[in-house]
Amino acid sequence: MSVATSARAASSPGRRITLGRAILYALLLFFAVLYLLPLYVMLTTSFKPLAEIHQGNMLALPEQWTFAPWREAWGSACIGLECSGVHGYFFNSIKIVVPAVLISGLLGAFNGYVLTKWKFRGHKIVFGLILFSCFIPFQIILLPMARVLGILHLANSTSGLVLVHIVYGIGFTTLFFRNYYANFPDELVRAAQLDGAGFFTIFFRILLPASVPIIVVTIIWQFTNVWNDFLFGVSFASGDSAPITVALNNLVNSSTGVKAYNVNMAAAMVAAVPTLLVYILAGKYFLRGLMSGSVKG
Amino acid sequence: MSFLHIHHVHKRFGETHVLKGVDIEIEKGDFLVLVGPSGCGKSTLLNMIAGLDSISEGELRLDGQRINELHPSKRDIAMVFQSYALYPSMTVAGNIGFGLEMRKVPRAGRRAAIQRVAELLQIENLLKRKPAQLSGGQRQRVAMGRALVRDPQLFLFDEPLSNLDAKLRVDMRTEIKQLHQRLGTTIVYVTHDQIEAMTLATRIAVMRAGELQQLGTPQSVYDDPNNLFVAGFMGSPSMNLVPARIAEKAGALVALIETEKATLALPIVRDRQALTDWCDKAVMLGLRPEAITDPASANRDGGEIFEADLEVDLVEPTGADLYVVTRLGGTNVNARMRPGSPPQSGTQTRFAFDVSRMVAFDPDSEARIRDRASVGSAPLASSA
Amino acid sequence: MSDTASPHGKGVRERLQHWLPKLVLSPSCVLILFFVYGFIAWTSYISFSDSGMMPDYAWAGLRQWSRLWSSWTWGIALHNIWVFGLLYIVSCTVLGLLLAILLDQRIRAEGALRTIYLYPMALSFIVTGTAWQWFLNPGLGLEKTMHDLGWESFSFNWLIDANMAIYTVVIAAVWQATGFVMAMFLAGLRGIDGEMIKAAQIDGAPAWKIYARIIIPQLRPVFLSAIVVLAHLAIKSFDLIVAMTGGGPGNATAVPATFMYSYAFSRNEMGIAAASAVFMLAVIAALIIPYLYSELREPRS
Repeated sequence: MSVATSARAASSPGRRITLGRAILYALLLFFAVLYLLPLYVMLTTSFKPLAEIHQGNMLALPEQWTFAPWREAWGSACIGLECSGVHGYFFNSIKIVVPAVLISGLLGAFNGYVLTKWKFRGHKIVFGLILFSCFIPFQIILLPMARVLGILHLANSTSGLVLVHIVYGIGFTTLFFRNYYANFPDELVRAAQLDGAGFFTIFFRILLPASVPIIVVTIIWQFTNVWNDFLFGVSFASGDSAPITVALNNLVNSSTGVKAYNVNMAAAMVAAVPTLLVYILAGKYFLRGLMSGSVKG
Repeated sequence: MSFLHIHHVHKRFGETHVLKGVDIEIEKGDFLVLVGPSGCGKSTLLNMIAGLDSISEGELRLDGQRINELHPSKRDIAMVFQSYALYPSMTVAGNIGFGLEMRKVPRAGRRAAIQRVAELLQIENLLKRKPAQLSGGQRQRVAMGRALVRDPQLFLFDEPLSNLDAKLRVDMRTEIKQLHQRLGTTIVYVTHDQIEAMTLATRIAVMRAGELQQLGTPQSVYDDPNNLFVAGFMGSPSMNLVPARIAEKAGALVALIETEKATLALPIVRDRQALTDWCDKAVMLGLRPEAITDPASANRDGGEIFEADLEVDLVEPTGADLYVVTRLGGTNVNARMRPGSPPQSGTQTRFAFDVSRMVAFDPDSEARIRDRASVGSAPLASSA
Repeated sequence: MSDTASPHGKGVRERLQHWLPKLVLSPSCVLILFFVYGFIAWTSYISFSDSGMMPDYAWAGLRQWSRLWSSWTWGIALHNIWVFGLLYIVSCTVLGLLLAILLDQRIRAEGALRTIYLYPMALSFIVTGTAWQWFLNPGLGLEKTMHDLGWESFSFNWLIDANMAIYTVVIAAVWQATGFVMAMFLAGLRGIDGEMIKAAQIDGAPAWKIYARIIIPQLRPVFLSAIVVLAHLAIKSFDLIVAMTGGGPGNATAVPATFMYSYAFSRNEMGIAAASAVFMLAVIAALIIPYLYSELREPRS
């Protein structure tokens, strides 16, 4: 309910553009520009030759459009001693994201199902313990995790990161599915029991087909989180097995040589495109994940 | 041996005692309605019959077999839920056939069964739709179809009409009754609506606070209530309950009721033996509105009529009937009269009391005061 | 739900059905118990040991803790997180509420604007840091742009100024999270009963007064959620600082998260690193546990 709307409706029947409205739109526009500016600068910089960056204006469009920075970022930029761009790391991230999202999502769906439809004594405590794992500062697990990954021979491997992301993703996926299934009528499960369906049949035939929205929310949330992770990547994977965020940071913050800002920006865009794409295509679900990840669903 | 035997069943959730020893027996083909206010334990009892709630104490027997430990799916029971509980991702046909599919009925057999039930319920044109595309009444039918298709020994209904609007509710009520008569199925039906209970049941079980108050035919529960609660709960408008005093007058037992002008002395004809012990004691009299009429509509064949002039407080026409309110023993009393020529409020008019229908209750224990002989017609199964 | 007829001495299948829910839940429980609570216990223990590069399980009492509290860098880190956290929470909340109220005026293109305000939340902190590092670059970024536009005296070199660098991180962090806070407030605003607002208008209250006296006080739960979430994000902030300043210049933008990381992996001082991590956990737990408790407690029926 908007105060302005009904106030306007009450006071002035005509649809006049008042000074207040003009200021309102000006403010909104100003903030929109402010929020878009970094992205704009990133994009234009990534299409400029280095010389133009040094001479020209940051806000100006490229005088001479070039795809060379993108090609270099993708295929030949030097990260550490390796000069083959970020593409390998991009695929590392994909190799980590896909299994981590699927497995943590499936576990979360099962957990949510059991915690709402097959409640047992102490189910609230179990949920509380799982949920708290979403909020711990991960610094608390860095040291033992590094050792355990070493013992399991998973250090510096994408498989190790998959394991890490599954473990620390369970909390959120469980939260999402628990809240969703809590609103799912218990009578459905009872009806299915009378019909003779067992634990898994009820889940796969009745609940899961009706869970598409929360599945989308979970996948998007986990995808974004895992893709954007830096701490686990930098702590547990180095060299060839690093994810894109670590590679980007190494590229940008390496102290050797002349800073190729255009290549850096192109690499940053490469790292940003998958999540931006998800956001643009499924913003509604992205927002729902954010909200239920912070406030109770 | 009765078909469904609920024997001294208790339910405890931790500290709370939800069912306190309920005994009910019904025969094959009976339509048992469990009725009572919310929280009386009727839904819990239904869930226990279904196997969805465990039994803390007591025994459930279906067709002679103990079913306490039997898994819900093995009890040969089907249930219609309050929210219908239709599987949202399946079509109507899928919903109806799911139980058969789980019981490994081959596809062809399933199809035929679905078709048969769909015809019976007139939902053949809906079979391909999803539940979200159905109206409330249609969902209700599908939910019933899902139960009917399995052809179980026992049907359970958990307030199936409470989500429908008033008109549809009456229509569906009729249909359920017709189905029961046509198929001869045994049904246990839970509702808080006493009219639904009266119209549908062959047996009514009135419950309150985890205890069975009365079990009997609708008519016996209505005419011969076991206690004040049943008297007040069943019937609409509800039974008039009037404080009175039992006395002996000229060798006959009467109930004295104070009115504003005089003391009314209604002759006691029912439960006379028992009421002899109540001489000079206060009781609560129960009289249905239709047992207080104008002299012309009084039932003089079967009843015993006592007439008196009383002041009219208020007149409430409903179209079919006319309810006249007067004051007896300090409370409002509803009388049902012919709608033809209403008396004016504030005037005196003549009331006819059918005292053969008058019942009396102990005002302290709320129990009915009745002769022993009449107990047989309405067995009291509740434990104190 | 699980309270169905219990299968005493029934077939294996039924007994399996009875245990299946717990069986299905158990892998997650084992993982969480080991990797979360087991690790917390391990790290906590290590913070009371003499562990350096390798863990040393001999009890050393509060030695690491006293080293931590006497560390100059840790002092800076605590000071920074305090400054950063406070500015971050206040700016995000104020700006987020402002944007939400502006958007709530039945404006055109609300969807598009909302999308624009919120998109930074989809980006990795590393991308954000990279972008803002470039944007605020003293030589070629904002400063040069302003000079080009004719504002010759404009100077903006916070990124390399030890006293100011932490504020550049605040700017980038606020840019990233405001849209999220805005979305929370917008949802809160949309949940307020319209009839109450109509009643206030009939009473003759001006719009600003309706916001100040009726609407904003009702958003208290949203304020609480926003502040808890932001505080928790602030304490965990690591990526953005690494990407923008690397904790520098010098140690100027060190925070507990970067402190812990450098002691754990560069300086091989496991004990101190563990102690700092335990401290971070304690602060977050003090914040989150009461919040979760109040959020998840179901109203007693």
